[in-house]
Amino acid sequence: MASIRQSFEIPGKMKTWSFALMGIGIVALIAGFVTKGMSKDHHEQDIFLGTLMYNTIFWTLVCNASMFFLCVTTMAWGGWQQSFRRIPEAISTMVPIFGAITLVVLLYVAFSGSHIYHWTDTVAVANDPILKGKSGFLNIKFFTIWTVLAIVLWSFLGWRMRKLSAQADEAAMDGETGAKFILSNTVRAATFLVWFGLTVGSTVPWLWMMSIDAHWYSTMYSWYNFASTFVAGMSLVALWVIYLKNKGYLEYTNQEHLHDVGKFMFAFSVFWTYLWFSQYMLIWYSNQPEETIYFKHRVQGPYKGIFFLNLIINFICPLLILMKRSAKRNYTLVTFMAVLIIFGHWIDYYQQIMGSISKEHVTMGWLDFGILSLFVGMMIFGVSKALASKPLIPKYHPFLKESIVHHT
Amino acid sequence: MSVKYESQLREPLVYGNKTYHDVTEDIVRPIEAKPSKLWYIGFYISVCLLMFGVYSVYREVTYGIGQWNLNKTIGWGWDITNFVWWVGIGHAGTLISAILLLFRQGWRTGVNRAAEAMTIFAVMCAGQFPIFHMGRVWMAFFVLPYPNSRGPLWVNFNSPLLWDVFAISTYFTVSLLFWYSGLIPDFATVRDRAKTKLRKHLYGVAAFGWTGSTKHWQRHESLSLVLAGLSTPLVLSVHTIVSFDFATSVIPGWHTTIFPPYFVAGAIFSGFAMVQSLMVVVRKVFGLTDYITMGHIEAMNKVIVLTGSIVGIAYLTELFMGWYSQNKYEGYTFWYSRANLFSPYGWSYWGMMACNVLSPQIFWFRKMRRNLFVTFFMSVLVNIGMWFERFVIIVTSIYRDYLPSSWSVYYSPSIWEIGFYLGTFGLFFTCFFLFAKYFPTIAIAEIKYVLKTTGESYKDNMATIEQKQADEFAHEYAH
Repeated sequence: MASIRQSFEIPGKMKTWSFALMGIGIVALIAGFVTKGMSKDHHEQDIFLGTLMYNTIFWTLVCNASMFFLCVTTMAWGGWQQSFRRIPEAISTMVPIFGAITLVVLLYVAFSGSHIYHWTDTVAVANDPILKGKSGFLNIKFFTIWTVLAIVLWSFLGWRMRKLSAQADEAAMDGETGAKFILSNTVRAATFLVWFGLTVGSTVPWLWMMSIDAHWYSTMYSWYNFASTFVAGMSLVALWVIYLKNKGYLEYTNQEHLHDVGKFMFAFSVFWTYLWFSQYMLIWYSNQPEETIYFKHRVQGPYKGIFFLNLIINFICPLLILMKRSAKRNYTLVTFMAVLIIFGHWIDYYQQIMGSISKEHVTMGWLDFGILSLFVGMMIFGVSKALASKPLIPKYHPFLKESIVHHT
Repeated sequence: MSVKYESQLREPLVYGNKTYHDVTEDIVRPIEAKPSKLWYIGFYISVCLLMFGVYSVYREVTYGIGQWNLNKTIGWGWDITNFVWWVGIGHAGTLISAILLLFRQGWRTGVNRAAEAMTIFAVMCAGQFPIFHMGRVWMAFFVLPYPNSRGPLWVNFNSPLLWDVFAISTYFTVSLLFWYSGLIPDFATVRDRAKTKLRKHLYGVAAFGWTGSTKHWQRHESLSLVLAGLSTPLVLSVHTIVSFDFATSVIPGWHTTIFPPYFVAGAIFSGFAMVQSLMVVVRKVFGLTDYITMGHIEAMNKVIVLTGSIVGIAYLTELFMGWYSQNKYEGYTFWYSRANLFSPYGWSYWGMMACNVLSPQIFWFRKMRRNLFVTFFMSVLVNIGMWFERFVIIVTSIYRDYLPSSWSVYYSPSIWEIGFYLGTFGLFFTCFFLFAKYFPTIAIAEIKYVLKTTGESYKDNMATIEQKQADEFAHEYAH
């Protein structure tokens, strides 16, 4: 009987790559800070901060989507994901790290008097009845408390899920312990999901992102952002599954599981498009200036190219490429699509945040890719560390055998 | 090696030591037996309601829309509320058959047949309202876009109301095909057991000459998959387009971007509640408790608490945006016309909140999810709440117009409006009683498909597998 490889050894090459990416990122960060961050021009400063903002927020939410996936499948009593559940677990360990960076960046933006959050400008608020009216929600105190709470609780509740999962490495469970184990899993997952709904599903995207256009509002905004980060999060899971498979790990995971992850990537790309369309079409159709202003420069102005690129990458490509069964079972194609989808939603975050900060011109350039590389490097480094610290397969998990016999 | 295995921690989906034959016997028995007294009573009540509905509609068609208490300001009242309510209910069936199929939820096999039937009947009921709301119903065919002799009179392709015509008729067609194609093998089963010639002939025609050959099954499976694929986007599109009827407008309380997914969640919510109301009764009356188990009821209650909470987030989101937008019209609609309990229709908003958001939270508790009385009570409550939701959206948004001079007086429906609504209940239940009597209420073939994985006695045999270590099991499975 062939034994399974439980401990992941981080290949030297991977370490080198992650360091190289982080190195490039740090150089870009410093260069960006010197050329833009310290610039006398407010606009340049905002671009620097905005670039940090959309990257930190994007990567925090994408990694948090892994924990969301685990909690949702736990609540649904899913069996199929057990053979690779350690991957989303490992990805979710990045939430406290990326979350802390997000916290620093957002609080700096809010407290530094930068122009990004217009509602932090007390003089402007005093002279603007709309902002004044909103100040019960858009104020620095609430912003700080809620941001800290959101990040701390995502990290804490996610940590509790992972901690419980470690029990499945220890000893075989009989029926009773197994049932208890599943019950505590569902309770912890439910707690996470409730908090997730109150933050990612509603308040957090309003506070962090929608408030950049301080007058503008859309009830769909948060759900749209959830869909965006969830589909990117599933793609990230797919990438790590394929990587580990190629390295000969995850013996119980096969094309059948990948196929299902691929279905999530396909289905939620379509779901994202559905929300995109619903938000856009309704605003376009009713044509009210206070709402269309958000899309004006995105559709007709400098962001036109990015606006349509967003749709092509995140809708047309997954629709056409991932629809076929064989595509979702093909490692190379899924890898390609996963990279594309993550990139596509990163672009979506770019246009959502930078499109509001720098309305006159598109600033995409070396700084964006540099900071992206910093985050990708950190993600690779952190996730590989987390993977190496735990057995790769929860071998006593009561549903593991279902995952072994899983087929689509 | 093909292994029939699932964790012992999961409850069986079929109780009792059933064989394939037992499954057929149990499900076909109600069709072959004479209907009970209870069935007749229920059926006659339904037919009476239907007749009252027909008379109410007759009044409306003959004397005009003035038979209803709609007015210039409240142009949409009970009729459109009822339309949206019924369409919403018609969502559970297809969700169960298509989306839960994709999510591989085995428990769907116990309830999918009845839920799909319910879907079809609910959509039929829904369709009556916009048709008769047209007033001159004999002109209803004007909604069909075809080259005609009416000169430039053509449908308005920019109108979401027209999209509704397409969306709902497509949904109805695909749901009907899906439901019927699943029925074919079961009709053949009933045909093969038939004792009278007429019965054999009728079920034979219905079964389209099904022989159960491998080729038939193969085609049947492919067809099911294609229809499931077509149905999945339809589950979302129908209520999305219904929500567009409101959200494309510039009416405060209607124009909000979250409407499409929020309507879909609400539709699934109410659909499941209706399935619960029916199933809790059907399983008892027809003695199908081995097939529609407490596990099934519990799973549906979980869907109810999930969708109820999603709807809750949506309610709070739009209420919040009513304030956050600092748009005084939105603010007035949400915070005065709705959330203020003492405004004319405030009661309906709080009724909606209580029934749809607060009360389903009781299903966080396992004991409550598995209590039949609570389940039935809650399912009725949710449907009342979902009716209120549509009433709140429609009436509280329009009764006070932008122009205070056109503000409406308090709207309450006329007897013929109520009669029309009751009539659709009659239609729905008449159809459902006939369905329950003449059709297999549970998909026989699909239960047989899951029997050996999830049947109680088969699960007992898996105990040996359960003892094995994962690596040992994986090794055996691989060889």
